[in-house]
Amino acid sequence: MTTDTSPTPSAPTGSASHPSRQSEATAEARQRSTDAPAPETIPQWLHRSSALRYTVILAFLLVFTFLSVKAPGFLTLSNFVNILVNNFTILAIVSLGMTLVLLTGGIDLSVGTAMDVGSLLFISLISAHQNFLVAICGGLAGALATGAFNAFLIGGLRIAPFLATLGTLFIGESVQQLATNGGQPIYLITGTLAPAFIYIGHGSFFGVPFPLSLAVGLTVIYYLLTERTSFGRNTVALGANPSVAWYSGARVRYTSALVYLLSAVTCGVAGIILSATIKAYVPLSGNAYLLDAIGATFIGTTLHSEGRPSVIGTTLGVLLLSIVTNGLLLIGWNFYWQQVGTGVLIFFVLATSFLGRRFRR
Amino acid sequence: MALAKGDPVLSMHGIVKTFGGVRALDGANLEVEAGNIQGLVGQNGAGKSTLIKILAGIHRPDAGSITIRGLHCPHLTPRQVEHLGIHFIHQDRLLVPTFTVGEAMFLGAEPGIGRLPFLNRREMARQATTILRDHFDVRLAGGALISELTPAERQIVQISRALLRDPAILVFDEPTAALVRREVDRLFEIIRRLQAKGITIVYISHYLSEIESLCDQVTVLRNGVDVGHVSLKSSSTTEIVSLMLNRDIDEMFPKRAVPIGEPVLKLNEVSARGAFNEISLTLHRGEILGLTGLLGSGAKELVQSLFGLVRLHGGTIEIGSERTKVSSPPSAVSKKLALVPEDRRAHGVALQMSVRENVTLASLQRFVCFGFLQPGREKTATNELIRKLSIHTASQASPVGDLSGGNQQKVVLAKWLSRQSALYLLDEPTVGVDVGAKVEIYRLIGELAEQGAGILLLSSDLLELLGIADRILVMYRGQLAGEFNPANSTSADLLSCATGTSAVSEYVNAVSAESGR
Repeated sequence: MTTDTSPTPSAPTGSASHPSRQSEATAEARQRSTDAPAPETIPQWLHRSSALRYTVILAFLLVFTFLSVKAPGFLTLSNFVNILVNNFTILAIVSLGMTLVLLTGGIDLSVGTAMDVGSLLFISLISAHQNFLVAICGGLAGALATGAFNAFLIGGLRIAPFLATLGTLFIGESVQQLATNGGQPIYLITGTLAPAFIYIGHGSFFGVPFPLSLAVGLTVIYYLLTERTSFGRNTVALGANPSVAWYSGARVRYTSALVYLLSAVTCGVAGIILSATIKAYVPLSGNAYLLDAIGATFIGTTLHSEGRPSVIGTTLGVLLLSIVTNGLLLIGWNFYWQQVGTGVLIFFVLATSFLGRRFRR
Repeated sequence: MALAKGDPVLSMHGIVKTFGGVRALDGANLEVEAGNIQGLVGQNGAGKSTLIKILAGIHRPDAGSITIRGLHCPHLTPRQVEHLGIHFIHQDRLLVPTFTVGEAMFLGAEPGIGRLPFLNRREMARQATTILRDHFDVRLAGGALISELTPAERQIVQISRALLRDPAILVFDEPTAALVRREVDRLFEIIRRLQAKGITIVYISHYLSEIESLCDQVTVLRNGVDVGHVSLKSSSTTEIVSLMLNRDIDEMFPKRAVPIGEPVLKLNEVSARGAFNEISLTLHRGEILGLTGLLGSGAKELVQSLFGLVRLHGGTIEIGSERTKVSSPPSAVSKKLALVPEDRRAHGVALQMSVRENVTLASLQRFVCFGFLQPGREKTATNELIRKLSIHTASQASPVGDLSGGNQQKVVLAKWLSRQSALYLLDEPTVGVDVGAKVEIYRLIGELAEQGAGILLLSSDLLELLGIADRILVMYRGQLAGEFNPANSTSADLLSCATGTSAVSEYVNAVSAESGR
């Protein structure tokens, strides 16, 4: 792990003032006596945060209102189901792993690779008429292998996560192309598929599409993992300051290795679900989720006063991106303009939240 | 600059500044008369640096007024400050290390080639050499790289950089921190020469000897307020000391009587290559064992090796009465060892994490029930520790970065208290901590000893060691050079042991100034 000293939160040199806060602090300053400890008189929400911290929610409402008015058919139940199933599910699962990795201060550029490798093995095994469970295990094992490679490079050899996962990304692309004759998709013949296979792609779980309920389940698990376990707390410490985590007796290398394993397995799940939905393996299809996952996670960081990634924030970010993609499609923007829309949105959310943080100090 | 000597050139009135609910300045005043050398003293944490950062336009005051050369300046920005002719010389104020002396000096005001806006490197180097020679009698090539210079030379480059901009006031913020005696003398000579040219000087330091030999007037800060304005012509340094501390030295080191118990830590001839050799020592329950040594004596490495940060190459460690190995911090923590590291911000606390997260970081297993953390129990435990250590924080959810140095240090201690550690390795635990927090930390160390913990206190503050340790070990060049009983030793005894004898006076000077004696 690098032993970077974290930046000290010294006040920015900004010249903009925040009149209401300042005058209040002044008034309070006069009240207090010299030696009294700072009592909790400034309300917590006013002190630590500003309304700008909730820009995700604000952006969410704005986008929602705009699309409701502008996009034909946006404000319908069937469209919301469509958003959740087709736009939200896969990205949500991938982003969970990304959130965990970004919490430790690392990055995983190989999420797409783990998806693809999982999907490749899964579909290959299915098309070779293997048992469904064997295929699932094979797919997860493939994803786990990419994670283990990352974990070895990062936790074992202490290579910077960006470089290590970039290497995995390249190797994974080559492996896929070699294994598929230069990138031929593998299609399954629809008639012969096992019911279980159909179920994980298109079935419903208590009335909710199975992929969506799986995403929700994983989100809950990740929420508990990050917020309510000592492992989750250690990932936070690792991201905040690896030296402090080490000096506090946290097993830093074990934690970072485990994080990449978990991320890869989670992406493997996403890959399997994706390929079960489209009943095919399409080489290199996972990479499309990489940047969206990073974007969603960063949108989510704006919820926390110190800019920390969180499962709830990320899920909101994924939802926001999904709605934008869907809505712009309904309005009739083509794919390339959708990317511009997404970019502007991410910029808006991060910039306003950054400004909010500057005003606060 | 049409001000006569003695006119007020800078005044800051009733400055208030809070950081996250913690008061750094509480109505501080600073008056500077033209042509004077104005001293500003105070313990660490008294608010000196905050006051100066406000003057530099880096922080915005919550209340108070600033008047510079007759101009009322309610909203200072760094650029404005520079226009008003105030320049800052700071140890950390960075010159880009890969720039040449000439480039660094002219950064932002580069001479062109004729009228063309190209960098005229040769001209910059030539002018820089001339300025350094004429003003400071320093022979430095204008083309030399900043990274090749000594700290003292860098400082002179900073001063010349400021002089190029025709300054009215020069502010020196702890300028001698990285200088050796001879360089300090030369810096003083330069400062006096600048004064003779009519430049007003503000000189900030906590070394009283420097203030005494240099300044005309001194403002003393304590707890964010100016508690005294002293003219050095008419009063002595002892007056300043009493103003700075506002307490007697005896009060600082609370005395306690703790029976010394059985050994908790035994080192038998432990060695680490290049650091120390065949050190044997025993630490008992309830004992505060002091350890000191100059840089390179191996004392710091010895403490680090006990926490698994430095590898041992021989000898054995017994904790309790079991022979063990401490291979890494996790194994040290599992053996109930605690380390309070010297560099608090780098190794002690995660500044962006909340007080609660920091306090429970080393003892998360305590709060786990069926695999899940219990936030309620975490909160209760943290609240208890906040109260016990009187940590001043707006709430337990505030980031530790919002707390003052002393309170951050208490958070580090709270982390190990929460772990219920049995053996505390304290590496300079009161560095960068204000006097009030120092006393509280001493009291806490005493309480830990009373509860039967063993404490190894590594410190270069000899008065601190003499004040609270039960025994003091001194290391010199990787060896234990002596053992002292604080009751019948003086800091001079410790020093002559720690140094061999040479350079004693310099060290005494620094140490006694640090402790405000």
